[in-house]
Formats: sequence, structure tokens, C-alpha cells
Amino acid sequence: MAGNNKDDEFYVRYYTGHMGRYGHEFLEFEFRADGRCRYANNSNYRNDSLIRKEMYVSPLMMKELRKMIQQSEIMKEDDARWPKKNVVGRQELEIRLGNEHISFETAKIGSLVDVQESDDPEGLRVFYYLVQDLKCLVFSLIGLHFKIKPI
Amino acid sequence: MTALGYEIDIAADEPEDMIVDEDEAESKPAVKRKGRGFKSETRDARGDGVRSTDKYDQFESTTEEDAAAGRAQRSVEGWIVLVSGLHEESTEEEITDKFADFGEIKNIHLNLDRRTGFVKGYALVEYETYKEAKNAIEAVNGQKLYGQVLHCDFAFIRPPTPVLASERDRDRNIRSRVRRRNRSSSPRRY
Repeated sequence: MAGNNKDDEFYVRYYTGHMGRYGHEFLEFEFRADGRCRYANNSNYRNDSLIRKEMYVSPLMMKELRKMIQQSEIMKEDDARWPKKNVVGRQELEIRLGNEHISFETAKIGSLVDVQESDDPEGLRVFYYLVQDLKCLVFSLIGLHFKIKPI
Repeated sequence: MTALGYEIDIAADEPEDMIVDEDEAESKPAVKRKGRGFKSETRDARGDGVRSTDKYDQFESTTEEDAAAGRAQRSVEGWIVLVSGLHEESTEEEITDKFADFGEIKNIHLNLDRRTGFVKGYALVEYETYKEAKNAIEAVNGQKLYGQVLHCDFAFIRPPTPVLASERDRDRNIRSRVRRRNRSSSPRRY
């Protein structure tokens, strides 16, 4: 897994957030090749505080994550024609996979309608579903490991 | 988008990028970068996210089982088993049946592919004891279900080693490399 070979390089990070009435509210998580998974969630609404969690997942879990990313074919996409970040907020998806490194940035996506109406619906759809699958995995991991509801 | 859409990060006008990889072999291929995130002004501005140096909460287990558990890490209420290679038409009932043989299942997450609505291919199963989880892993790993080989292991492992001086030094090296990268127009970030 976390070898020194560049083909093994692997890193995943997702961020969604905005600046607003309650300050900087965001959700962010990352996986490193060695299995370290970090999760941060800051919602100031009703004085909720920052949640920061860290856990190490097994090589089998990392293999499953890598498979999820490869099967999505996200590395073939490009954010050049995706909606630009705006006052509503932004999303970032950074993935290092072998010698390819993407760092996509786009607006928040409310629903599939936003995807359909964009200039690159096919690419944005790949992003939209991958992000949902990643969040689903992370929420399961956090929920089971710490017995908290992450959001 | 084809590979033409990539930026090659050893461009002649960005010599600072070479600094990033100074401790790696020079013969390795260039990293192909793509995306607006590399150019974003917010990229290195935030100190509150997952790359912050603040303390992150970890669950630290202190049960008698831990000594026997090897690299496996206990969770707050039990031991989490991951099974992968599930057929997309697997059902929660089938997976519950399979894993109930080894102990009472406290929890099961069978997540769906958000696009297709079918099973994504993995499930997380919680047992109360290490022994139950270990028995399940040993029995299920390598089994076939709908013609697909299942892989089964603990979902969580302990942190690599206790934080020793060597590790602190390594972290410090990473941090100092990150600092150097910040001078570059398109730094690598981890």
C-alpha cells in the first residue's frame, strides 16, 4: 500500500463549505495512503463546535476506496467547464493516484438539475455520484467507529 | 478529457516544483496535474481543515482483548469487519445470514451505489467481541458469493506506531517540505 513507488501514490481529499452568517462552515475529509483518515466538520449553527476525528483504516479498506475512485473514472474528467465556486460555497476534490493528480474545484451542487444544466453534465455527474459514494463511506466509518452521527 | 488536458509539473518556468521532489528519485515520471484547485487562492489559505496541525480525536481502546488483536483496532462499541467483493444484487438479509454464524451482529452497513441504486460492493459488520470478528474474517475471506470472491478483514487498524521521536522527525520533515512547497505556484499538498 503506502510504498515508495509512484504508482502507489494515493491520496483523497474532499471539502465542501462556505463563509456565511455563522462563519466558516465546512465538512472535509481525507485519506492518506497509509490508511489515516481524518474528518473535520464545523457548523457554528446553534453553537455547534468543530468535530475533528482521526482513524486508521486497513489496507483492504484502502483497496476498496481506490477501486471506487478508479471505477468512477474521475481522473479522466476536467473541472474547466464546471460551475465556478460562488457565494453559496464551493467543493474541492483532490485525488492523487499514481502519477496523476487532480484538484477540482466547483460550486455546491444542489441536485441533479444543477448537473444537467451545467456545460459539462457528463463530467459533473461523475463527480456528483463519486462524492456521494465517498461521503456515504466516510459517514459509515465515522458512525461505526465513534458512534456519532457525523452530520 | 484526454491527457492533453494535463499540466506537466516539471515545466521549465517552474523550477521550484523540482524542490518538492528533491528527496525522491529523479528518474520517476512527472506528475500530471489537472484542475482549478491548483490555482485557487483558497488552496493554502485555510488552517482549520484536515491539514491543520491541531489535535484530532482518536478512539483509544483499553480493553483486555486489545493485546491479542494484533494490528486490528477496536471501535467504541465493538469490532468492525469489512467485507468487499459483494455482488451488486446482494441483499442485507443474505449478508446478515452469512455473518450471524459467528456471533450477534450489532450493526451492519450495506451501502448502495448512489448512481445505480445497487449494492456498492462492500459492507461493514459490527461484532461485540474480537473473537467473533476474527472468526468471521477467517471463515468468509476467500468465500464466493454469486461467483465473486469475497475479501474480508478488519476495517480499522491501530496507528502505525506510538509517536516516537523518529515519527516526530518524519512529521517535521513533511511539514518543512510543505513550507518549502508554499513558495511554489502549484504545490503538492501532502
